[in-house]
Amino acid sequence: MTVKRFLVRLALGAVPPIAILIVWHVASVGSVVVPSIPAVVEVLAHPFRAPPTLDATSLASGALVSILRVLAGFALAAATAVPIGLLVGRSRTAMDVLQPTMAAAMVISPIAWIPVAIIVFGLSSPATALFGDEAWRYGLLDRVRFAIVAVIWLGAFFPIALNAAAGARGVREAHIESARVLGAGRRQVLAKIILPGAAPAIVTGLRVGGGIAWRVIIAAEIFPGTRGGLGYMIATAHAQASYEYAFASIIVIGAIGLALDGLLHLAAVRVSRWQPKER
Amino acid sequence: MAADAGVIRFQRTSKRYHTPARGEVWALRDMDLVCEAGGLTCVVGPSGCGKTTLLRLAAGLEPTTDGRVAIDGRTVTAPPPGIGLVSQEGSLLPWRRVIDNVALGLEIQKVGRTERRTRAREAIRRVHLPPAVERSLPHELSGGMRQRVALARALCPGPRILLMDEPFAAVDEPTRHRLQDELVRLWQADGQTILFVTHNVEEAVYLADRLIVMTFSRTVADLPVPLARPRDRLDRVFVDTLLAVRRTFAEHVNGLSCDTTS
Ligand SMILES: Nc1ncnc2c1ncn2[C@@H]1O[C@H](COP(=O)(O)OP(=O)(O)O)[C@@H](O)[C@H]1O
Ligand SMILES: [Mg+2]
Repeated sequence: MTVKRFLVRLALGAVPPIAILIVWHVASVGSVVVPSIPAVVEVLAHPFRAPPTLDATSLASGALVSILRVLAGFALAAATAVPIGLLVGRSRTAMDVLQPTMAAAMVISPIAWIPVAIIVFGLSSPATALFGDEAWRYGLLDRVRFAIVAVIWLGAFFPIALNAAAGARGVREAHIESARVLGAGRRQVLAKIILPGAAPAIVTGLRVGGGIAWRVIIAAEIFPGTRGGLGYMIATAHAQASYEYAFASIIVIGAIGLALDGLLHLAAVRVSRWQPKER
Repeated sequence: MAADAGVIRFQRTSKRYHTPARGEVWALRDMDLVCEAGGLTCVVGPSGCGKTTLLRLAAGLEPTTDGRVAIDGRTVTAPPPGIGLVSQEGSLLPWRRVIDNVALGLEIQKVGRTERRTRAREAIRRVHLPPAVERSLPHELSGGMRQRVALARALCPGPRILLMDEPFAAVDEPTRHRLQDELVRLWQADGQTILFVTHNVEEAVYLADRLIVMTFSRTVADLPVPLARPRDRLDRVFVDTLLAVRRTFAEHVNGLSCDTTS
């Protein structure tokens, strides 16, 4: 019964992708713009091969560069947004000062900051910071430009901070008081009550922030002025009419995005296990 | 100070709240009460008469508006050391397993993990919870079991003073009676000072060796309850005491609850 149900669900879920493949195939026949399915599969099957006609690196190294940029910006966002969010959630003054700005900043597309970030950070990267003129030798490090990391950081910061604030605000006073009566000071209340109590909301924020970071990185890489990454690959593939690379990149973007969301979903399930179902 | 160890002393203690809807509310007015060390004092009064406020002031969770509260001879300005608080429901940490809830106080005191476990298990045993529940989360337990966990958590660090805010109000009657018996047994073994507040007159008469009757933010009667233990709820003197308390309420409240008159 459950196996049958699983197979039925699998079959139902496969309908849209199959439909898309059919439409894709029909559209590709005789088209110069839409690549054929086998051509895209061919690109996906050789992820380490540099595209012969394209001013871009291999699919795998493009993916690696995009992932590194997102990880750097996302880690920075998590490390800064969680403490600030908890502060805003627990302090009336901090909330009055920061909440309006954060709510406004939240609705600005992080892409809008790209030109600003490029002006502020220029071409600097961990490689230029560490090795100066020799930076070009450290290709991968040089690709993680501060300007792009800053844009990812801005994109992920606000959803994480606002969710952490909501989580911290929602911690029950009775829980805090039970720890205070047992002798807990401010630090212990923070570590033993507020942080675990807000954890499900924080992870929700990380999930939203992670999703935004991954969308933003692709857009940022398509923006002129950056090199490397999956977005850059799409941009150059379009410019040079190698559409099979653009399509392959889109598929890889989707796969990595799904994996990222799946990981954060697992984390969410883990930290929320204690929450009883609402009845 | 040593002479005052384990004593809870309210001296002309008042507490006023400002509420948007009702303006100023006196939750407690010129309260004078001394809970002797090792005594089991019950405060009984209708809902809204200031019982929770009384305990919150003693626990150092709120400042007094006037007068003072002293515990162990020291004026309370923050939660004093060596107290335990058990409230009605929902103060257990829902993300912690039972054993980690019970060990919270020791964890805060930075007691080592092994000793914490041993002492938490001992507290769980003393409140008659089956050892298997130590791995459960609070929401997986019945209301009565949760209150046992809350009691174990308060007892675990070995407090000299227990403040109890209608801890058994939300459990069914047979369970409540069993919990009352177990509380008395623990108190007889440990000899803490217990300040127990309840709206349930029968519960107060069953538990108290001293009974404070409260209405409208004030004390209206202070009776010793010199009944032998274990007590018999059908005993003549028990029933007479119960009726006397009810009569006091009838005189002072005229059938109105504090909530509607304060
Ligand atoms: N935080 C508060 N803010 C405003 N009013 C309060 C607050 N806490 C209690 N009160 C009021 O003080 C009175 C006494 O409340 P409480 O001590 O909770 O009574 P009890 O525990 O006996 O039911 C009530 O009228 C209540 O509405
Ligand atoms: Mg109350």
